[in-house]
Amino acid sequence: MNTEITNNSKNGFAVQVRNVTKTFGTGEARTQALKGVDFDAREGELLMIVGPSGCGKTTLLSVIAGTLEFEEGEVDVFHARLHGMSKSAITNFRGGSIGFIFQQFNLIPTLTCIENVSVPLLINGVSRAIAEKKAAEVLALVGLGGRGHDRPSNLSGGQQQRVAIARALVHEPKLIICDEPTSALDKDTGHKIMELLRDVARAPGRCVIVVTHDPRIYQFADRMTEMEDGRVQRVHEAPQAGFSHTHQ
Amino acid sequence: MYHLALKMLFADRAKYIMLVSGLTFAALLMTQQAAVFFGILDWTNGNLKNMRAQIWVVDPKVEQANEIKPMRDTDVSRVRTVPGVAWAVPMYWSVQQARLQDGTFKPIQLVGIDSTTMVGQPGNIIAGKLEDLRLPNTVMIDDLAVERLSRGRAKTIGIGDTFEINDKEARIVGICKTEKSFFGYPYVFTTYDQALQFAPKVRKMLSFILAHPAPGWTAEQAVIQIKKQTGLGAFTEGQFSVSTVLWFFRNTGIPMSFGTTILLGFIVGVAIAGQTFYSFILENLRHIGALKAMGASDWMLTRMVLLQSFTVGLIGYGIGIGLTVLFGLAVLKKGMPPFALPYQLPLFTFVVIMFICAFAAVLGILRIRKLEPAIVFRG
Ligand SMILES: Nc1ncnc2c1ncn2[C@@H]1O[C@H](COP(=O)(O)OP(=O)(O)OP(=O)(O)O)[C@@H](O)[C@H]1O
Ligand SMILES: [Mg+2]
Repeated sequence: MNTEITNNSKNGFAVQVRNVTKTFGTGEARTQALKGVDFDAREGELLMIVGPSGCGKTTLLSVIAGTLEFEEGEVDVFHARLHGMSKSAITNFRGGSIGFIFQQFNLIPTLTCIENVSVPLLINGVSRAIAEKKAAEVLALVGLGGRGHDRPSNLSGGQQQRVAIARALVHEPKLIICDEPTSALDKDTGHKIMELLRDVARAPGRCVIVVTHDPRIYQFADRMTEMEDGRVQRVHEAPQAGFSHTHQ
Repeated sequence: MYHLALKMLFADRAKYIMLVSGLTFAALLMTQQAAVFFGILDWTNGNLKNMRAQIWVVDPKVEQANEIKPMRDTDVSRVRTVPGVAWAVPMYWSVQQARLQDGTFKPIQLVGIDSTTMVGQPGNIIAGKLEDLRLPNTVMIDDLAVERLSRGRAKTIGIGDTFEINDKEARIVGICKTEKSFFGYPYVFTTYDQALQFAPKVRKMLSFILAHPAPGWTAEQAVIQIKKQTGLGAFTEGQFSVSTVLWFFRNTGIPMSFGTTILLGFIVGVAIAGQTFYSFILENLRHIGALKAMGASDWMLTRMVLLQSFTVGLIGYGIGIGLTVLFGLAVLKKGMPPFALPYQLPLFTFVVIMFICAFAAVLGILRIRKLEPAIVFRG
């Protein structure tokens, strides 16, 4: 797997990770979370990362998203080479190219849905008026047209995760990163959220990466990367329906 | 992002109110206490404001304008002979008892000014003529005296009325306005010679010598010359004022006690604002982490935090100063307690409050800078 990263605009790869290592702590508490990971994600796919607890899924996701510094290896995300990029350049990169969806939604409770969704645009320097207009449009796309002026706490869990998805999409990032997006939701709601994410992934030049423990949603994966003990063990390229059985 | 920063701040009602009231309290306590303190300092200079002269000559042991160690009458002529002195005149000042019509006594400050030059005369005469002081047994009283000495009379005391100072009759020929003084007693002006008649006889009766520099001399130069040649103490008006204030700093607990209260206001402000603001940041750390992950730079978050802290600072400062001014308006009408609000004071409080806010913000900012954006993925 140790091929050099090639120009991925031609090869259709959204993300290429080569031989990445990440160690937490020192001495006794030292944990090597990533032990030379190789990983690819393609444009237009919804890719799942699965594996036992503590195998390094969240760590890998954080590295790809540019929220965590890594030690060795190369990470290439839609043309951007994160290895050797300055801290402020990575911050900029995150703001422009990544959409985040968190397990706990992480919406700001004192702000309305429109305000929450407008945040990534505001971070990118878009004016308030334009940002809120766009936010309202995207909220309508995820089926929350009428709820823009509600606070998140007035919404159900599934609706809140939709708001979070709207926030992750509003600035039209190429890569959407989701850590356990459905684990706080019931089965039906989780399915609806995944359908939405699968549609998002289908858009040209997009990629959605989902870390999950939740076998109920395996069927939504285009491909599945299985991790174990800080490494990628297997990549499954199977018809969607098959996953729910092979990975339970 | 700034409107969201403010909205997050205002939406946390409890902390917002806590922050504003803490800073209001600090601003109010510091400004109001300092204003009362400056008011007292102002009063200590009352004599210097009510009897004007460029040069004050006193016994060498005298350090402040509310204290007298009498000098010999001949000292006046000694000062007159000093080069650099244009003229020098005697002045009498002491606290005496005035006997009212109903038989009660009220303390007054008896001032005797030179009858030829009238140097040291009250600056603001509202009724009567200064020259009438040259008539026998006459006095000019201030508005406070009108109020205090009217006790027991059918109508307020005025020109032509009499009262007694040490069993001697004093006839009022004029009314003047004076500034508040340290003792707070009314001023009763008369001529130097007449004052010596009103006051009980003692060996030395000359309280102050008021002098003026000769042409070509500054008051400072003349003062140096007077001290050198006569061995007396001498001050320019400004020096005497500073010396008076410093004397109060050295010899009374007043600055200490006010200083302690002002410091307390500062500490309370730092403690409440620092602690409340820091816990506001801590409670929002998760959201701030998410903002960081979504690409908000440390600098952007720093500006948001500064905006939040300076906003509560400005509001708290505004209310605090507003309350101080209300307090000032109320007490200035009553005349008690003393109160002076030079423009430097609100400015000083502003700087201190902004410092407190900057301090509170820095605590939060340091925490935010240390925050790893990756925490948003951790439960
Ligand atoms: N900030 C950290 N400090 C120290 N150790 C960490 C830190 N983050 C992760 N680790 C360790 O790194 C390893 C991988 O953690 P990671 O969170 O990536 O696993 P995961 O696959 O996401 O697990 P889970 O399925 O439980 O979320 C674990 O042993 C974890 O304890
Ligand atoms: Mg995890």
